[in-house]
Parts: sequence; C-alpha cells; structure tokens
Amino acid sequence: MAPKPITSPVPDAWYPTLAVFMLAIGLVITASFFIYEATSLRKNRSLAKELITGAVASVFLGFGSLFLLLSSGVYV
Amino acid sequence: MGLRLDLLLLAAALLFSPALSDLVILKVDRRVDLTSQIVRVTSTLKVENNGKDAVTEVLLVFPDRQVKNLAYLFAVSSAGKGKAKSYSHTLSVNEINLKGMPPSLVGYLVSLPEPLGKGESYTLDVLAVYTHSLKPFPEKITQADIQLLVFEDSAYYLSPYEVKAQSLTVKLPQARIESYTRIENTKLHGSDIKYGPYENLPPFSHSPIVVHFESNRPFAVARELVREVEISHWGNVQVTEYYNVVNRGSEITGEFSRLEFQARPHIRGPSSFRNLVAKLPPRTHSVYYRDEIGNISTSHLWSDSKKTELEIEPRYPMFGGWRTAFTIGYGLPLQDFLFESEGKRFLNFSFGSPINEIIVDTLFMKIVLPEGSNDITVTAPFPIKESRETKLSHLDLVGRPVIILEKSNVVPEHNQYFQVYYTFSGISMLREPLMLIFGFFFLFITYILYMHADISISKSSPSYLAKMQWEEVQAVIQQVENIVSRCLAVHEKLEASLQDLSRTGVVQACKSVRKSADSTLKELYKEMKPLLSFLQSSSQAAHILPKVEELVTKERELQEKLMTKHLTVVDCYEKKLGGREIENRINAHQQKITVLRQEVDDLLDYIDEL
Repeated sequence: MAPKPITSPVPDAWYPTLAVFMLAIGLVITASFFIYEATSLRKNRSLAKELITGAVASVFLGFGSLFLLLSSGVYV
Repeated sequence: MGLRLDLLLLAAALLFSPALSDLVILKVDRRVDLTSQIVRVTSTLKVENNGKDAVTEVLLVFPDRQVKNLAYLFAVSSAGKGKAKSYSHTLSVNEINLKGMPPSLVGYLVSLPEPLGKGESYTLDVLAVYTHSLKPFPEKITQADIQLLVFEDSAYYLSPYEVKAQSLTVKLPQARIESYTRIENTKLHGSDIKYGPYENLPPFSHSPIVVHFESNRPFAVARELVREVEISHWGNVQVTEYYNVVNRGSEITGEFSRLEFQARPHIRGPSSFRNLVAKLPPRTHSVYYRDEIGNISTSHLWSDSKKTELEIEPRYPMFGGWRTAFTIGYGLPLQDFLFESEGKRFLNFSFGSPINEIIVDTLFMKIVLPEGSNDITVTAPFPIKESRETKLSHLDLVGRPVIILEKSNVVPEHNQYFQVYYTFSGISMLREPLMLIFGFFFLFITYILYMHADISISKSSPSYLAKMQWEEVQAVIQQVENIVSRCLAVHEKLEASLQDLSRTGVVQACKSVRKSADSTLKELYKEMKPLLSFLQSSSQAAHILPKVEELVTKERELQEKLMTKHLTVVDCYEKKLGGREIENRINAHQQKITVLRQEVDDLLDYIDEL
C-alpha cells in the first residue's frame, strides 16, 4: 500500500472565514445570554435555558477561537 | 610525523600483506575537491581477484588523523563511464578492527553485491567527506589579507592491496597557489593539480603531499544547530532552526574598519563572508529570520515550484573567529511531509541543515509530535543517537512527545530523508477545541453561579426582606405581562383567520380557529388568577396593582370586542352578505378594538418601565 499524504480535516484556506463566522455567531449568542441574565428576574430565570445558551455559545466561541489561532499562524 | 607514519606503514605492510593479497587494484582515480571548506574525495576503484577463492569484501584503510575528520563515507558500484554512469548499488560500509593492523590505521569493509570469482574485476566509487581538514595558514590574518589554506594527503592511494595504476587530481577554488609538493609526474592545469599516473606500487605505499593555496570560500561552521520540527495535524509542519555559527577560517587580528570594508568589501575583507543561502522545500511559508534582539531585515526570499531559497545576512560580515547566533523559522504544508501507511502515520523529513556548504559540529533534530502520539519509532539512513523528552506548548495538558536525534559532524551529504513512525487517533485532534470550549463554558458557568447566588450578609434585615418581596412582586408582574402578551398573540391569530376567510370564504376553518382560541384563552385566564390574587394580597404591589388590574380588564374588553367582531363576520359570511354590508356592521367594533389595543400596549409599556 502506497503511503497516503495526510491533510488537515478542514482546508487551511477556510480558517479565516470560519474564524470570523463562528466568532460572530458565538458573540451574538453570548450577547443574548447576557441580555437574558440582565433582564430576566432571578425568580423567572430558567437554569436549563441559561446552560444551553452558554453551552452553544462556548462551542461557537471555542471553535471560532481555534480557527482564529490557526489562521493567525499559531498551529496548536 | 611523516617519517613515523612511513615506518608504521612499512610495519603494517610486512605484517598484513599475506592475509589480504588476493585482491589487486587495477586502477584508482582519486579526485579531491577543495573548492569549499568541506573536502570531498571521490575514488573510483577497479579491483580484480587474483586469488583462488571468491572474494566478497574489499578493505579500505584510512589514517586515523583523517578518520577523525571523516564525516561521511559512501560506496556505490559504478557501471559505465562519464555521464552515462549509473549508480546501481549502494554498498554497505562497516568499520572493522582487523588483527595486526597498526593503531594509526582504520579499516572499513565494503561488501560486494556478489562474490568476485578468480580473474573477475569490479568497479566501485567511494566518496569520503572530511570536515576541518583544511588548515588555515597563516592562522591569523588582518582584515585586508587573503585566506590561505593547507591541505595534506598522500600522492599514492593508501591501500592494503597492490595498486597497478593510479592518479590523483586536486581541484582548487582559484588558480592562485602558494606552493605544492612536486614529485615525479606532477602537473598543474589552471586550478587543478595532477599527480600521476603511478604504476605498480606495493601495498601501503605513501608519499605525503602538501598544497598551500588561496581560498576565500566561507568557512561557516554551526557549532550547534537545533532543528525543531513541530507537527500540527491542523495542517502545518513548523520548523525552527537555532544556529550558532562561527567562521572557522583564518582568525582576524588587528582592528576591523567598517568604513574600509563598506567602501571596498572585496579588497578590505576578502576572507569574510556576508551571507548564507538556505535551500528550503517548495511551498514554504511564513519564513522569519531573527536573533535575540529581534527581526533581522537583511534577508531575501525566492520561491518557485521546485524550491524556496532564503538568503540571510548576519548583522555583520563574518570574519575568521567571529560568531553569530540566529534563528530561522518557516512553515511547511502538512501533506508534503506527513503520510499514512498501514495504520501508522509517519513524518518523512530531511536531516541536516538546509544552508549550503555548512558544517554542523553538533546537530540536534527535535521532532515534536502532537499530544496523544504513541508507538514512536525512527528509521534513519545512518546511525543517530536518539533520546526522548516532552514539551509543553499551546493548549497542552501532558506535553507533546519529542524525539531528539543527535549527530555530530554533519555535512550536506547527510541531507537525507529519515522517517518517524507513530500512531495517532483522529479523536485526539479534538483535544484543543474541547479545551477552548470548556474554558469558555467555565466562564459562563461562573457567571450563572454569580447571578444565582445570594450574597447579602444579613438575611433578616427589613430592607433585605422588602427587597426579596419586591423581587417576588416583580416576578409575578412579569408573568402577568407574559400571559397578556400571549393573549395578544391569540388575538392576532383570530384576526388572521378573518383575513383568510375574506380571501377564501371557508367558514369552517375560521370557526375551528375560534374554538381553539377560546380554549387557549380560558387556560391563560386560569393561569392568571392566582397571580392576580397574589398581587392583591401583597403590600409591596399596592402602588402597581391598579395598573395591572386595568391592564387585565382592558385586555378582557378587547377580547370581548374581538370575539363579537369575529362572530359578526362569520355570521355575515354564513348569510352570504356583501362586503360592504359586513364592513358597515363591524365598523363600530373595529374602532373600539383599535383604541383598546393602543391602551393595552401603553399599559404594557408603563409596567415594563418599572
């Protein structure tokens, strides 16, 4: 079997675009999280909603910052 | 010295010759290349078996003072002549300790691909590469002086066998030669000195020659080079090379005048070198060249599809004995160097420095594999000292496995590919993103906890209690508001159904919408009841209560009007009245509805602002 070259799972050229979009989405969700925290009253707040918003935001921010690092040349 | 060696050789010849006399060397052509600081000796040997038994090995001997500087020894079988020469076989060369051999000689055995029968002959090429064999003489020169070097060797090929015919060519960089040993059959052609041909010399013949010549070629020696290759499966091989370079040419004495050097660099500093050229692989990107102070701007980069060339200039011209330390780094595409074969991944990378004609005294090759790599093995074309360590880098928990390959006396001939095999599961790639994700999630959790925690000190003070009650009231009001807005949404639905009716004329659909709206509204009122009674009982809500109650009554009024309107319209459609007639009938309702809706909206806004 001939050796097969290994490539990255995501093409390098996509990193900047992915970083911008994922960070933008992540920041929007983060904003909605903080708006929810600030406007809803403690009694009416639902923990599940907070956790889900936080989790989704951190997934987007996590991948977004990873792609930001990769596109700026810090190959982790 | 020369005499002593002669005596030793004589002794060796006497002791040694009977054992190895089966072979005879028919012809030896030696070419010594002195055009750079690295001495390359290519010998073409034609050996013949004169004995009865088949021979499988050829013995090469070198004096130990040469072996000390021997960086690379390589033998190939050569067939054909000139450019048509094809290097078919690489022959294995092993150092050997033969009994009876004087300590000043070191032997290497070359294994032939097939036994050599009686009377058969075989031609092989031997390449020997020496470092630090050219001695500057004089050892110290001034800025304006040219550099003179001394090279010592033997005019006769040192061999344990009888040599029938031989010649030696010494190739010098320039035609300017201070002196050279003249023996019989010595000729000078331009910058080449030719010794020979000499015929029928006994084993271990020796005739020392010395060549003293001018060479201003760079004597760049990296005393230590650390090459760090870091693999990222996200698509990059990052190479960082730490150089510690010295010019091992004639040392400079006296003062250095920058002005004179700048004005006439070739006259006032011929022995120095100003730049180094590194030949990097194609598709190299993000190249940098810096030292401890920062970026060094004097560098140039050319690239095409075959290679990338980097020319770097140290901060000052490098005169003999001067040192400099710098770092170059570059990124390479992953797919050019990392491969997968039989479930294992391997890195295929070149050993040695990419800089042209540089000698590396000690080379440390560090291969940093990604976290989570296992079963690491190295295969290299020559013996290398191997050790391990771990390195903590970006987003690491336990550190990345590092393989350190160490080799001393490295020449450009060592730029051969070696392989590092390892296993790695694709899931390990998700470590870094998961770390980032959990990092962010931790921040969110912290904020949620902070918002949920009650951090007031006195839990029984009146102000605290009042605050708690007020918060409760606020929460209830918010719920009321929520219910009201849901009611309004139901109203919207009803209006929409009316519009559908006017468009399609299907009464049945409209009626069913009405039915479901009725039940939803009923439930919402049920939900609202306890909230309102709570507000009525709470003292804190006293000032806001009228507004809330007003909101609820207005909403109910609005709803009634809407229902009446809905009923009327549906009725009219059932009776098949004209559009104008319907409009007349609902006109009065419609106006009230608009007014009421406005009032409800205003009230909602007012309560919201509290």
